[in-house]
Amino acid sequence: MLRLSLHRVPTGVLAAFACVALSLAPITPASAADDYTLGPDSMVQEGVPQGTTTKHQWLNSKVFAGTERDYWIYVPKQYDGSKPACVMVFQDGGSYVDAKGQFRTTVVFDNLIHKGEMPLTIGIFLNPGQVPATEAGQKPRSNRSFEYDTLSDQYARFLLEEVLPEVGKTYRLSDRPEHRAIGGISSGGICAFTVAWERPEAFSKVLSHVGSFTNIRGGHVYPSLIRKTERKPIRVFLQEGSNDLDNLHGNWPLANQEMAAALKFSKYDYRFDYGDGGHNGKHGGAILPDSLRWLWRETPQ
Amino acid sequence: MRRIWIPALLLLLFPPAIRAQDMALSTILIDGENWQMVSSGHRFTEGPAVDSDGRVYFTDVPESKIFKIDLDGKVTLFAENTANTNGLMFGPDGKLYGCRNGEKKIVAYNAKAEAETIADEVQSNDLVVAGNGSIWFTDPPGKRVWHIAPDRKKTVVAEGINPNGIILWPDQGTIVVTEGQEAILWTFRVERDGTLTNKDRYYGPLQLPSGADRPGSDGMTVDAVGRLYVTTRAGLQMFDPTGRLGGAIAKPQAGPLSNVCFGGPKLDTLYVTAGDKVFRRKIQANGVRYGK
Repeated sequence: MLRLSLHRVPTGVLAAFACVALSLAPITPASAADDYTLGPDSMVQEGVPQGTTTKHQWLNSKVFAGTERDYWIYVPKQYDGSKPACVMVFQDGGSYVDAKGQFRTTVVFDNLIHKGEMPLTIGIFLNPGQVPATEAGQKPRSNRSFEYDTLSDQYARFLLEEVLPEVGKTYRLSDRPEHRAIGGISSGGICAFTVAWERPEAFSKVLSHVGSFTNIRGGHVYPSLIRKTERKPIRVFLQEGSNDLDNLHGNWPLANQEMAAALKFSKYDYRFDYGDGGHNGKHGGAILPDSLRWLWRETPQ
Repeated sequence: MRRIWIPALLLLLFPPAIRAQDMALSTILIDGENWQMVSSGHRFTEGPAVDSDGRVYFTDVPESKIFKIDLDGKVTLFAENTANTNGLMFGPDGKLYGCRNGEKKIVAYNAKAEAETIADEVQSNDLVVAGNGSIWFTDPPGKRVWHIAPDRKKTVVAEGINPNGIILWPDQGTIVVTEGQEAILWTFRVERDGTLTNKDRYYGPLQLPSGADRPGSDGMTVDAVGRLYVTTRAGLQMFDPTGRLGGAIAKPQAGPLSNVCFGGPKLDTLYVTAGDKVFRRKIQANGVRYGK
């Protein structure tokens, strides 16, 4: 019962669930696993310019016909439109944009951009779509697994044909692959990899938190594909924990180790942070500043 | 006290849409339960359909006969000379709707097995009847899906696929269509007038038998929590409501597996049509009656 479904639950829910899980645990270990905490780069710092975050709705997708979703755009205070900004897209945007959540991405962006540790970057935080119900009493159709877990270019096309052009009407966005990153948690993590894998000329940086490189919809094949496909110009940061899921779709710690081994074998520019966390954003959130510094290092302006 | 509150808290934290996850086969299969043969000696069985008491009817397509399986397992002939009636489903009016394809009709059989024509001059393979009497049926030769409104007006509502099985979600807001050569199942949103929109490859990928290039997906059923069961060459594949494969239940025998429904008074037993035989298997899930 406790292992049900965690890999598609918003992180806010996960945090609450973790509290319940702990209260149910028969034995409390002396030094708890998964006891990651946020550092100063994830806290609002006095004197650091704060960007603005606005909420929007995406209602007219053609790539995912009939879906509706919320999304947020973060614009750094320093952005003035004089030159194209870098772009970072997040799946499960609501969780990543939450300034009190496990990631606090916009706060981290503020701090890192201010210190010059990552470039001027506009954040696009997209929730997964859902097809609204026709009648009262019907459930909307959740499109999250379909959009995130499917191995195809469909989500990449959604970004490149719809989302980026629309956001680009208001803000100058760079179209250079080294200026474009994408990240996500769980199924959103494999989705990030899929986008770059399908369209490396458009996205070159991947951030995966407890990524679902398992057989939800065939994603377990990536390690073998990585080994037997000419190396693509992708930089990959993988975060994973030894207490992550083991269920019908696969074993998350093993799958991520397979990914890391394959990326190593094929000489990718990758980093693998393997901790002792579970299927949540605690570890990923705690190391988000470090991950972003690594991912955006030596990015030409 | 604490034990009472924890489940309540879990329920609060996990609204049904989120809780319905990680549906391994172990969550529905019962240890010690296996397929039991219910009927044999047929040529090609299809169209299992459950009546309001839990009895299951099925058709032998080339023999043009419809049989009834009583609750005690006894099989009797219900109708003959059915013009190769294929897909069957009971409607809210208690009639047995069928794809009487040999006469290019959709019909409704009453309790005396008399066939009333609902639509004619249409080819059909399988159908689903909603709680309001609305019918959708697949037309493989025409590569389309039709809708018959409660006033019997018929309309093409999907084209350009090679459809076979068809089923509604328990809440009747989404329709699912199989296409035997595709390793996915199509979903559509059901609009108020019965038209189908937002076609997508929601379910998938389906498991394929080793070396095969197509799943041979055919008839389907759904359970009360929204799991979907689809007959395929690789077995009876179960999907969760978010379109993810939970697993493939082994076929009762080698050869075709053409269709499935829930039967029994509690709708807790899967009935499958498999070539010359019909089998059943009790599981930990319950079927649905649309609109009830």
